[in-house]
Amino acid sequence: MKTAVAALLVAAAVLVQAAILNRLPLPWGLVPDLVLLVVVGVALWSAPTTAAATGFAAGLAADILPPADHEIGRQALLLCLAAFLVASIRDTGVRAGAGPYIAAALAALGVSLGYALLGLVLGDPRVGWATGAAAVLGGTAATALVSPLVLVPLGAVMRRLTGEAHSDLPAPWETARGLGR
Amino acid sequence: MRRDTSRSRLVIGLLVAAALALIVLDSREGADPVTTAARDAGELAFAPVASGVTAATAPVRDAYTALAAAPGARDRIADLEERNRELRTELAARDRDARRAEKLDDLLQLSGMGGYEIVPAQAVTRVTARGFSDAVTLDVGREDGVREDMTVINGDGLVGRVTHAGRTTSTVLPAVDRSSAVGARLEGSQEIGVAEGTGAVGGSKPMSFELMSADARMKPGQRIVTLGSHDNAPFVPGVPVGTITSVNETPGSLTRTGHARPAVDFGSLDVVGVIVAGPQDDPRDSLLPGPPREAPEPEKAGDEADSQDSESASDTGESGDPEEGRR
Repeated sequence: MKTAVAALLVAAAVLVQAAILNRLPLPWGLVPDLVLLVVVGVALWSAPTTAAATGFAAGLAADILPPADHEIGRQALLLCLAAFLVASIRDTGVRAGAGPYIAAALAALGVSLGYALLGLVLGDPRVGWATGAAAVLGGTAATALVSPLVLVPLGAVMRRLTGEAHSDLPAPWETARGLGR
Repeated sequence: MRRDTSRSRLVIGLLVAAALALIVLDSREGADPVTTAARDAGELAFAPVASGVTAATAPVRDAYTALAAAPGARDRIADLEERNRELRTELAARDRDARRAEKLDDLLQLSGMGGYEIVPAQAVTRVTARGFSDAVTLDVGREDGVREDMTVINGDGLVGRVTHAGRTTSTVLPAVDRSSAVGARLEGSQEIGVAEGTGAVGGSKPMSFELMSADARMKPGQRIVTLGSHDNAPFVPGVPVGTITSVNETPGSLTRTGHARPAVDFGSLDVVGVIVAGPQDDPRDSLLPGPPREAPEPEKAGDEADSQDSESASDTGESGDPEEGRR
């Protein structure tokens, strides 16, 4: 059940990302990475193996869908690793307080950076230092900005499906207090 | 958890290897069958979704585009309106230029035929002082060589004379003004008379012509040209003044008077010329356009002997070919 829902969510996220978000005329590469957020949200409640597979599948789908013009596997590799890492630390209290948002922001930063670095390594002519930095920072900021919108409902769904008796993920302004304690 | 570690490491290693393999495969030159097939499959799945989203979000997207363009749109509209106005003005100016060029051509032709030296000018305003006088202002003045009592013509004939020459503008008394009297001669004859303005522009009988000689005759359709004055001031000889429209048959009167229609349309004065130097010879009737030119041949014969008035007066004019004027 959980697997099916996660797969559906990831598929929906990939489609929404490719069909809507990537086509929004947002300036400076400020496109939130919905796929990453969903993958992180799923990985927070999954075993590392499942999370890695989820990330790989999501990344592969994002690589394949048409507007993408980079090498197939770039996002798959990065999302796979990010999901694996997030899932590996899921029992260390990252699901409480502001943890998910921090984890998502870090994952976004890492994936953006990794994507740009992979582009540099692979000789992608569109990735330069200046444009890369702008895209990394802008993308990370946008992703972190919308992360509560995705992570709060996603966390609730995943928690129900996992059957754990935690309280729901608090809203970001409430977690600010929780961060201090 | 600990039990899972080795297996999860294996899985992650495999996935990373697969991703790297895909990257390597896809970054090689040429189309790889695996990645091409994957892309085709992705496209197949994505196309309907994308087109559906496109169709569904078209209004939103349009609204967004309109909103995003809104701040610039007002400027752009203003720009376009400005440009539109400019173009319209340009177009109007071009039309006016064409008309002016035509009038200037006429003017030059007339002055060339008559051997006048002219300063072209534009009739800028028409002032009517309390409805009594009807003066025209030109955009040339003393700086352009215009002096008082110079003859003003346009392509059709006599406009009037300069009554006041300012530094850059001058005032012209039209020939149809009540205070204007022009010494004139009947076309094709020696009969001289005075053409007087009888009213304002647009009147039904704007000009009267009175013959000096009691036994002279005139008939409607005859045209009158300026007689010419001493030193070509205020009128040079030979400029068409108008056409006789009716003759007053007044029994017992000493002189014959008639009404004349001016050669110039005073209602639409535009390009005019101020004659700054008169002709060498009296051009007589040669400036009258086209038929009905009555018996010009005998007139030509008596031309030289007849031009004693202009002989004494034409010490200034040197431009223009008098022979050409005869043609």
